[in-house]
Amino acid sequence: MASVVGIGALPVGRYADVLEHEMLLKALIEAMSDAGLSKHDIDALVFCLPRPYAEQRYFGTFMAGYLEIPIEDTLLEVLGNGMTGGLAFDIAVDRVATGKAKVAVALGVNRELHVPTREHMHLSMRAVGDVDFHVPFGVTPIAWYAFNATRYMHDYGLTREQLAAIPVKNRRHAMLNPLAQMRKEITVEDVLNARPIVRPLGLLDVPPRSDGAVAIVVARPDIARSLGRGVDVVGRGFYHEGIHQVSSRPRDLTTFESAQIASGKAYKSAGITAADLDFVEVYAPCSIVELILTESIGLFAKGTGGAAAADGATSIGGKVPVSPSGGLASRGHPPHVTPLYNVYEAVQQLRGEAGDRQIAGASIGAVTAELGDYNATMMHILTTAAEVRP
Amino acid sequence: MTHTLAYPPRVTAFTAPFWDGLREGKFRTTRCLRCLHITFPPKPVCPECWGDQLEWIDLSGRGILRSYTEVCAAPAMFAAEAPYILCLVDLDEGIRCLSRVLADWDDLRPDLRVRVKVREAEPTYLFDFVVDQEGEVS
Repeated sequence: MASVVGIGALPVGRYADVLEHEMLLKALIEAMSDAGLSKHDIDALVFCLPRPYAEQRYFGTFMAGYLEIPIEDTLLEVLGNGMTGGLAFDIAVDRVATGKAKVAVALGVNRELHVPTREHMHLSMRAVGDVDFHVPFGVTPIAWYAFNATRYMHDYGLTREQLAAIPVKNRRHAMLNPLAQMRKEITVEDVLNARPIVRPLGLLDVPPRSDGAVAIVVARPDIARSLGRGVDVVGRGFYHEGIHQVSSRPRDLTTFESAQIASGKAYKSAGITAADLDFVEVYAPCSIVELILTESIGLFAKGTGGAAAADGATSIGGKVPVSPSGGLASRGHPPHVTPLYNVYEAVQQLRGEAGDRQIAGASIGAVTAELGDYNATMMHILTTAAEVRP
Repeated sequence: MTHTLAYPPRVTAFTAPFWDGLREGKFRTTRCLRCLHITFPPKPVCPECWGDQLEWIDLSGRGILRSYTEVCAAPAMFAAEAPYILCLVDLDEGIRCLSRVLADWDDLRPDLRVRVKVREAEPTYLFDFVVDQEGEVS
């Protein structure tokens, strides 16, 4: 097993006049200070690979040099598209849980806002499906979520108003989160009237572009206890469908198979069921993704997630709060590090340090990361150890 | 003036039969000689059994509109074409392809019958879908 002993993050937003490493060192030093550890305690550094438009290459080893951190176990940069931060966390946990490292740090910086939107879309377009057989049609990265939405609305009679409840809920959560990028209240009407992006999804259904940096310090449970820290990683599940966004065979667009399977593995390894979760902090770039995900990981029956969200079940104070941080569309979305922001939020909730957005009695939570059209899912289950519960 | 593709596909010796086929009005892909699995896009190995003995077959070009979206915010190179409607079509042969459907947003609904329509363009032809009025299931 492994424990999270330190967290550090910059507020998500625009960082125009600083360098990538200047952002990341702040998050790292904050996380190490939060843990009560020094650089000499770090055995492993697992970096999220920066985006292709980051200026500094070989960023991980550059960073170790910049802060003069000798490393005994391993130092690497990982890439798994939107799952990148989830893989970084997973590897850091694994190095500790398998005894190879006493302390491992998962960390990353991701800047999006210094690239003009249309250039940005050109780069991301080439990551969609098949460059030769899909990109010539002008496909965009969020188009596949819109396919999910069109089909889901048709099959289950979901109304646009019900779907709009999800961005509205997430914005209410973000208004309570000092790290969130989008904190101005929005209404269902605002969501319905927003500029269309990929119909039926509009501007408030999709994430903004964002910069951010996060560091998460993972340590052996005995070290964690000596530091007075007791958030443990007790479950893990992963599954990749062997599909790159656009399946070559007909298949359901209203369920995320990878999330069903990965969450099942995570619950089993933690010895829990979905009903035991006090909250989930999920990787859901669009409103429809959150809806389908909440059904696929077993929080709601298929076809009922929209009504549940509209009834407040996923709000703080509801049956099972989803993304108390505000989620990707309101906390902001620097994709390669978004999963680490999810861990950050989960740890704050489990420590009882989430301030005005604290979920009462939160002691078991799940975080997810994904890639493609949820073609792969990584879920971790985090708990507050009994001996440190208030 | 001939329409020029904003983002043309690369044509290789292997994929040429597909792209050249469009110029002849044919919509083709590969079928495995061993397990008979049909895949799209065409591939030099069968993704089902990894066999490498394949044949080119002509597809019906007909299927159902599984889903669609209108792209209103397009990448720079497609901005002049926006808005346009992307679609996922499940062909009658049991394979899925991504394309555009040439129709008004309000005239579409999932499960409509659609059929392929070759798009004359340079440097290669491309393919779109149109609503298949004759084949529409009421």
